[in-house]
Amino acid sequence: MMHKTTHFGFTDVATEDKQGMVRGVFDSVANKYDLMNDVLSFGAHRLWKHYTIATSNVKAGDKVLDIAGGTGDLARAFAMKVGDTGRVVLSDINAAMLSEGRKNLINKGVSGVDFVQLSGEQIPFANDTFDCVSIAFGLRNVTDKDQCIREMYRVLKPGGCLLILEFSKTDIALLEKFYHFYSFSVMPQLGKIIADDEASYQYLAESIRKHPDQETLKKMVLDAGFGLCEYHNLSGGIVALHKGIKT
Amino acid sequence: MQAIILERALNFLLATHPIDIQPLEGKKVHFSLQDFPLEMNFICTNNRIFVTTDAAINTDVNITLQSSVFLALFQGEDLTELLRQDKIVIHGDVKTAQLLVDLLQQVNIDLEELLSKYTGDVVAHQVGKLAKKIKSSDNPIGSIKDGITNFLIAPSRH
Ligand SMILES: C[S@@+](CC[C@H](N)C(=O)[O-])C[C@H]1O[C@@H](n2cnc3c(N)ncnc32)[C@H](O)[C@@H]1O
Repeated sequence: MMHKTTHFGFTDVATEDKQGMVRGVFDSVANKYDLMNDVLSFGAHRLWKHYTIATSNVKAGDKVLDIAGGTGDLARAFAMKVGDTGRVVLSDINAAMLSEGRKNLINKGVSGVDFVQLSGEQIPFANDTFDCVSIAFGLRNVTDKDQCIREMYRVLKPGGCLLILEFSKTDIALLEKFYHFYSFSVMPQLGKIIADDEASYQYLAESIRKHPDQETLKKMVLDAGFGLCEYHNLSGGIVALHKGIKT
Repeated sequence: MQAIILERALNFLLATHPIDIQPLEGKKVHFSLQDFPLEMNFICTNNRIFVTTDAAINTDVNITLQSSVFLALFQGEDLTELLRQDKIVIHGDVKTAQLLVDLLQQVNIDLEELLSKYTGDVVAHQVGKLAKKIKSSDNPIGSIKDGITNFLIAPSRH
């Protein structure tokens, strides 16, 4: 029987195997994740996340779901916005990442956040629950991205806002050259030196390359049912924020 | 970026003032400026307003106007009066347009500064001066003409 395949970085793997392999990567990077994030992005991931929060239009009393939330950067910022009357769910498929997130938020004195282990492809919440659903640097790791976007659409309230922050395509030739060199030559080496894990950072670099570009992702969001989607390129398109509205 | 600043200012206004935007719920209003590379959609949903610059969406109301009139509108100019003077074209429900304009007029934002990001400070400043003129002049049409001439010859950074 022919197996359906999908990509794991640049390698084709059986569709049913990808989730486990991605889990292996994040099990491996969990305890050094925040440090590596700061080092590899020169701290820029904080700015990209700040921008995401600023454009979220989330307000006091809102319910927010952060998918693939990992160590909880977005969840923490959302918790400040929704206040005591709101609710934030920090979720991730990976127990090790979620547990880092939980530790992080407790250490930072953040309350009012629930922690749920879940896959973005099958979200265990009722239809029309959240005012905002976010996924930062997570969608490229999900096996069935369309299914994940449909699920995010389903659990959003009418008028709710989807935020997808993800690496994307830059159309500035020089930047593209530098970025290519950096992600394939520097990133895995830094991964080796700092986290003793070259393979995981090689996968992360490759998965960025396999992720759909801005227009393709926009179409996927609209195809999932969102009445509106627009994207904002950040750092010359290295990262893009797609904002969908369930109208 | 400009849309986001406007969006944040509008929603800050909504969060800090007892303003009922229920009558606008579900409405999408499109503004396009005839003489400025700016299109903006105001999407009122889930008790908040999203501002986007995507030109491709279907809207309920389309408002076309000159940038100077746009600024004048923000600064409190009467919509009905502008309509009467043919300075603004509205396709769709005028009542919805009026409700949104009422809101925009309450936003405390330096629109001149905001527009400057689009085509360069000098142009925006000209438009801003022009808007102020419209407000104070006895002969708004005359001052618009003067202003437009100024505006057209002002250098742009594009
Ligand atoms: C690069 S991390 C991003 C973490 C965090 N959002 C951030 O921006 O720092 C990617 C996360 O996606 C999670 N993930 C991968 N596949 C997933 C899936 N199908 N559903 C939910 N989370 C998933 C991983 O466990 C990992 O924590």
